[in-house]
Amino acid sequence: MSFFQILLQLCEGLGYSVMIFLLTLVFSLPLGLLICFGRMTKIKPVSWLFRIYISIMRGTPLMLQLFVVYFCPYYLFRIPLRNMGDNWMFVSVIIGFALNYAAYFAEIYRSGIASMSEGQYEAARVLGMNKRQTFFIIILPQVIRRILPSLTNEVITLVKDTSLAFAIGQIEMFTMAKRLASSEVSMLPYVGAAMIYYVFNLIVATAMAKVEKRFSNYVIK
Amino acid sequence: MQILNVSGLRKSFKEQEVLRGIDFTLQRGEILSIIGSSGSGKTTLLRCLNFLETPDAGTITIGDRVAFDAADTRKLTAKEKRARQLQMGLVFQSFNLFPHFTVKKNLTIASELRLKEEKPQNGAEKATKKAQLEAIDRKAEELLSKVGLADKANDYPYALSGGQQQRVAIARALMLDPEILCFDEPTSALDPELTGEVLRVIRSLCDGERTMIIVTHEMEFARQISHRVIYMADGVIEEEGTPEEVFGNPKSPKTRAFLSVKD
Ligand SMILES: Nc1ncnc2c1ncn2[C@@H]1O[C@H](COP(=O)(O)OP(=O)(O)O)[C@@H](O)[C@H]1O
Ligand SMILES: [Mg+2]
Repeated sequence: MSFFQILLQLCEGLGYSVMIFLLTLVFSLPLGLLICFGRMTKIKPVSWLFRIYISIMRGTPLMLQLFVVYFCPYYLFRIPLRNMGDNWMFVSVIIGFALNYAAYFAEIYRSGIASMSEGQYEAARVLGMNKRQTFFIIILPQVIRRILPSLTNEVITLVKDTSLAFAIGQIEMFTMAKRLASSEVSMLPYVGAAMIYYVFNLIVATAMAKVEKRFSNYVIK
Repeated sequence: MQILNVSGLRKSFKEQEVLRGIDFTLQRGEILSIIGSSGSGKTTLLRCLNFLETPDAGTITIGDRVAFDAADTRKLTAKEKRARQLQMGLVFQSFNLFPHFTVKKNLTIASELRLKEEKPQNGAEKATKKAQLEAIDRKAEELLSKVGLADKANDYPYALSGGQQQRVAIARALMLDPEILCFDEPTSALDPELTGEVLRVIRSLCDGERTMIIVTHEMEFARQISHRVIYMADGVIEEEGTPEEVFGNPKSPKTRAFLSVKD
């Protein structure tokens, strides 16, 4: 098999990697904000609950979490996994990734929100804005601007983390590379996969830089 | 006509009683300066008047409506809160402009949001809404000209000097036509050479119609523009009178000591 053919085969797996990547972001970015609210609420028991959640998600391996989500229908509810439908493996991967990344994003949001000065809230308040307007129109855009560099780091890590889906058997690019490597008795599939991950990340990094640029039309003191 | 009545206002932070019974009234069109050394409670008073702090005791009456009564435990609706909030305007010592909005957007955003909350039901209402948005835009431009910053409308706050930022903040407060406009040491965060432009703008607002409360350390300025002056010390009004009385012939020894240090 030529290197070009190997790349073509890998691209089949790439489709799943990209889907895992995009769906994880779509779910974990808003979910992270909700978790951040839970973590920052003045209601102590709630805030502790979210604090523990974040701590567990960040303190245990993502791979393990993927296993837990994948097998939980059986161990919690005694539902045989074959009854979970053909897509369960993929769905559980997305759930696992989203739950995990949301915890990291929640902490990033929190640091950004904490760095905002009280004066911004007060200025909005004396101008008659309500809490929702104040948060979404005055605070959040500034927070996003501030946390973009940390978000970029996480997003780039996510690209590489998509390969962890192989652990529960979800076929994505890394699984594909492993298969090819053993059938072809060659390192080339791994080299190809590395190249594709690298290009994937290059695209992501460029896109994030674009977003940062769009937000940098103003400077925050 | 009386526009403001503050009665028995008290406020503590933890153990420390910062306001210890404040009483005063204000007539429409009157300009009141509040002077006093640092820590005497001037900022806390203004924050109470703008509902950023909740006093422990006392009442605040704006016009003929009781805006705050510490004895009344009923929870205000969001609508009532906003209504009383909009009767007051506050210019902060540190400007607090929104850095992610242009100068003009800083002026228009609050009015636009208020307008957007009412959903238009039909074409006619949509048309009025459009006209109203245009009116907000025009008003912002007029106010920017008034504070001498018409050419900065599309700049972001970071590109402005402190004096210009504070002038934007003043224009922003004026957008909502508050009954009473409060200033908390509007020039204290500025380099000395920039205070003049801000004081000139404030002076230009004194038209006999606008009611203003100005906390300031600029004694000469306070003396010239105010109808009345309050000297605060340790959370109480130590002396109150016309500028001639307070600056020219202070009765309280504390006032005299404070003013002599200032000179
Ligand atoms: N949020 C707060 N928490 C605790 N103490 C405060 C707070 N705000 C003001 N103070 C205290 O109240 C006193 C009066 O402050 P302030 O009203 O800012 O005085 P001024 O504006 O006249 O300098 C000061 O001793 C200050 O430390
Ligand atoms: Mg002060």
